[in-house]
Amino acid sequence: MAHASGYFRTDYRRDLWLLDTRAQHVAAAAGVAVVVLVPAVASPFLLDLANQFFLASIGAIALMLLTGLAGQVSLGHAGLLAAGAFTAGILFKEFDAPFWLTIPAAAMTGAVLGVVFGLPSLRLRGLYLAVSTLALHFVVVYLGHEYETKRGYSTGILIDPPSLFGWELYSGIAWYYVLAAAAAATLLFALNLARTRTGRAWRAIRDHETVAGALGIDVARGKLSAFVISSMITAVAGALFAYYRSFVSVEAFSLFLSIQYVAMIIIGGIGSLLGAVLGAGFVTLFPYALEAVLRMLPGGAAFASAIFAVNYAAFGLVMILFLVFEPLGLVGIWHRVRDYFLLWPFRQRPALR
Amino acid sequence: MQLLVNIVVLAAIYALIACGYVLIYRASRVLNLAHGELMMLGAYLLLTTASLHAGHPLLAIAAALALAAMAGAFVYLALMRKMTGEAVLAAVLTTVALGILLRGVIVMLWSAQQQYPLQHLGFANPPIALPGGARISSAMAVLVATTAAVYLGLFAFLRLTRWGIRLRAAGQNPLLAAQRGIGLHGAYALAWGLSTFTGGVAGMLIAIDAGLDQTMVMIGLKAFPAALVGGLDSLAGALLGALVIAASEVLLIHYVDPLLADVVPFLVLIVMLAIRPWGLLGTREQLDRV
Amino acid sequence: MTHPASILRSRLLGALAFAAAATAAAPALAQDAYVIGVSGAMTGPAAATYAPAVDGLRIYLDGVNARGGINGRQVRLVIHDNQGEASRGAADAKKLLTQDNVLILLNASLSATYAPMVAEAKRAGVPVLFASAVCPKEVYPPADPLQFCTTAFAANHDSRATLSFVKQQSKEPVRLGLAAMAIPISRAEIDFAENLSKQMEMTPVDKAVIPPPTADYTPFATKLRDANPNWVYSWAPWVTQVRTLEGLRRLGWNGRYIAWAHLNAEDELARLKDGDFYVIGANAFFQDELPVHKEIRDAVAKAGSQYPPTQMAEGWIAGMVIEQILKQAGWPTNPQKVAAAMSDLKVDTKGLRGGPIEWTKDNHFRTRQYYRVYRWDPSASAIRLVQDWQAVDVK
Repeated sequence: MAHASGYFRTDYRRDLWLLDTRAQHVAAAAGVAVVVLVPAVASPFLLDLANQFFLASIGAIALMLLTGLAGQVSLGHAGLLAAGAFTAGILFKEFDAPFWLTIPAAAMTGAVLGVVFGLPSLRLRGLYLAVSTLALHFVVVYLGHEYETKRGYSTGILIDPPSLFGWELYSGIAWYYVLAAAAAATLLFALNLARTRTGRAWRAIRDHETVAGALGIDVARGKLSAFVISSMITAVAGALFAYYRSFVSVEAFSLFLSIQYVAMIIIGGIGSLLGAVLGAGFVTLFPYALEAVLRMLPGGAAFASAIFAVNYAAFGLVMILFLVFEPLGLVGIWHRVRDYFLLWPFRQRPALR
Repeated sequence: MQLLVNIVVLAAIYALIACGYVLIYRASRVLNLAHGELMMLGAYLLLTTASLHAGHPLLAIAAALALAAMAGAFVYLALMRKMTGEAVLAAVLTTVALGILLRGVIVMLWSAQQQYPLQHLGFANPPIALPGGARISSAMAVLVATTAAVYLGLFAFLRLTRWGIRLRAAGQNPLLAAQRGIGLHGAYALAWGLSTFTGGVAGMLIAIDAGLDQTMVMIGLKAFPAALVGGLDSLAGALLGALVIAASEVLLIHYVDPLLADVVPFLVLIVMLAIRPWGLLGTREQLDRV
Repeated sequence: MTHPASILRSRLLGALAFAAAATAAAPALAQDAYVIGVSGAMTGPAAATYAPAVDGLRIYLDGVNARGGINGRQVRLVIHDNQGEASRGAADAKKLLTQDNVLILLNASLSATYAPMVAEAKRAGVPVLFASAVCPKEVYPPADPLQFCTTAFAANHDSRATLSFVKQQSKEPVRLGLAAMAIPISRAEIDFAENLSKQMEMTPVDKAVIPPPTADYTPFATKLRDANPNWVYSWAPWVTQVRTLEGLRRLGWNGRYIAWAHLNAEDELARLKDGDFYVIGANAFFQDELPVHKEIRDAVAKAGSQYPPTQMAEGWIAGMVIEQILKQAGWPTNPQKVAAAMSDLKVDTKGLRGGPIEWTKDNHFRTRQYYRVYRWDPSASAIRLVQDWQAVDVK
């Protein structure tokens, strides 16, 4: 968290803290307060949007760890989400398993699939790795399809809400707090992971694989661990998604969903966890914002009949605009705005020699 | 015998689509994942030109083909040119986003309903009897012939004409080619134009045979393993890859389980990536290997 | 001259007050109309099947309102587009149930959206009506108290009726080919038909299951033809049904093909001009020109729609059913009264279906389902009725 103003740690204990100055502490506390107080004023529709945002950010953070931090491209994210969701669904339907069994089981499935998705990364990079993950995504979705058909759940698998000692997790507000806590936990985990040895190894592998190997980092193990950890988080996100919607169906996990997650980290800004969260928010809220804007415009009603197509076209356009004009994403924009105010009246950082 | 005909037809479809992927990759090392959507655009353009030039089907087809080629060059000049210096992955993601944009625009302009260009053109599509008791539809027969013609034309173009040699040079070593005076942007735009032209031909013929709707994009995506299995920068490889995938698909449908047809191209792709990532006939050095 | 800071402060307070008032005003307006909520696939790849029905419903209810409404009250239709996605369906359901306080939740979308919408509706105690969306098995006897269905096509009953027709039409033993799309609903139904055909002394010779994005149907048709059926039955989205037929004909197969009549069947029969292609359905074709068909055409011409009137039968029927329900429920009313009215209902479909739609406490589908079979008659160059309304008791 480098800042324009300087370095403030005064002892080794403080070196480990995530936040430095009092201003940062106050901002963080205010942020937490806002998040905690939102349900008091939000309508059920907005709460649902917020819940979708939290779910998306968990998956986006996982993908950011894999692609932004470790440099391994993955287009098969929806397949991992599907795997987590189906694990929860299958265990519930076949064995009536409670949630405190299915969620760890989903994590295990994610880990195993992470190894499978990650094996190609030992031999391939970049484009070919992306293609291999894409192919694996189709295979996972096909398996889900087969399960649904062979067991007769043609309309999807219904799951009861998770219950603990008789209290059911169902209402929007309860889910809001649970998902906010889960997203915060994931974010903290990711932030800390990035600062540990594993995280630094991943960065080294991303930046210069040969040098990393020469420095003594076990490159194969690093790549596989990146896939495994990222997939575990993703599978848990998929299981949470299944419980939130109370059902699982293979149609929800399309190639477009994978692309949406990739768009989240690109629009947010690759390499930054804040970017993952911002990107998740942007992609989740974009269709609703677009609809609201169209409704307000005078000629908008004509487009309402094609809102699905307009959504698609606008999404593609926004992704292109970010890729071409703002490769650093929303985080890049945020940094530029922030630096403008921090450095004013100077234009640029002084060059330190 | 019918099985053989089916394999040839499916291989021709995949090969015609795959050469679009290969052309762009060979020239600029970019994987154009929007090829399925561009193919669909060509077919929809035919729908429009056919209804505009109601009495002149050949004119409509020619107009649609010209428009498709221009669309490809336009996509390069307006969009992909800006990505030429960037990382390859960013360029590929840009094509993915372009594909999504195109899909939305096509539905906005033409609606998502099932269309039948054949009716607008006024042609008929009778089946043709072949020796051995096999049958093939006229449109598919034309497609097989067209694929052969297109491949022969491309081989000749790339080997014998000036611009073809420039294309190959730009693909092999862009720096040296630029220093030699070859306009890289021109070469890339040409590659894109040719790619959408061949994709448009494929899309139009498939639409004539079977009707036109949004699922054509998935067909384009299923042809992509054919290009990769053969080697992303080899035209002959695309033909071979298409044959391999088409044969496995048709034989599996007939003898094992029809449902595998959807996932077989990707299974073959995974196997290929595991044992020989650069494809059957691709150049080994193209791969980012560890 | 007041201090700038105090101006700013008073502006801020004003803005806050406005925001608070705006959020507080969000809950429902005065309930002086019947509110019906619809979550349908209005746009997206599946829209062609469902959007015309919702449009038909809208036009019907607009007509009802113009004639003075029901029990003196207007009917307000709140339509949401869930694009065929389960998440949006769930979000729509939440909003319709908690913010708009609808009396009936209507689903006109893919089966993936069912489970979350039904779960939400059950929590709120509001009945769910499936119109143009395939009927879930919870509406068959013994029926779930809150799920109802007006859609024409129905799993299991369709296959029974079709196979009975095939057996009756066939003088020689039937060798039956089957074609499904690789989606769970179609596959399940074709599997059911396969087993049923064995019980009815027909021989199922081959079953083709075709993935949706297929470039060439010929390999599947080849396998089907090689098994040498004399009848082929397909129960799937229209595109699969028609392309399998075209593939078979291209290969030179001359047998008889029967498929479900989706909303575009009437137009497609005229396009294909195939004398051995039969369609079985529960809705009367518009070529019969019944008075109700003219009513639909006139209303659509006046209201304007992007869909042709021939595709609006499902929506019109849903409208008639809703009108009857609300008449019976009276005013003022609540979801419980509406559900009670729905559990004891008889609606005259004026010829759009073969008979009235009757719902009882146990049967939320209909007590009798009526089927007709049409085909294109090449000698007359017109669509001809092959079998008039056959009633099937639903138990």
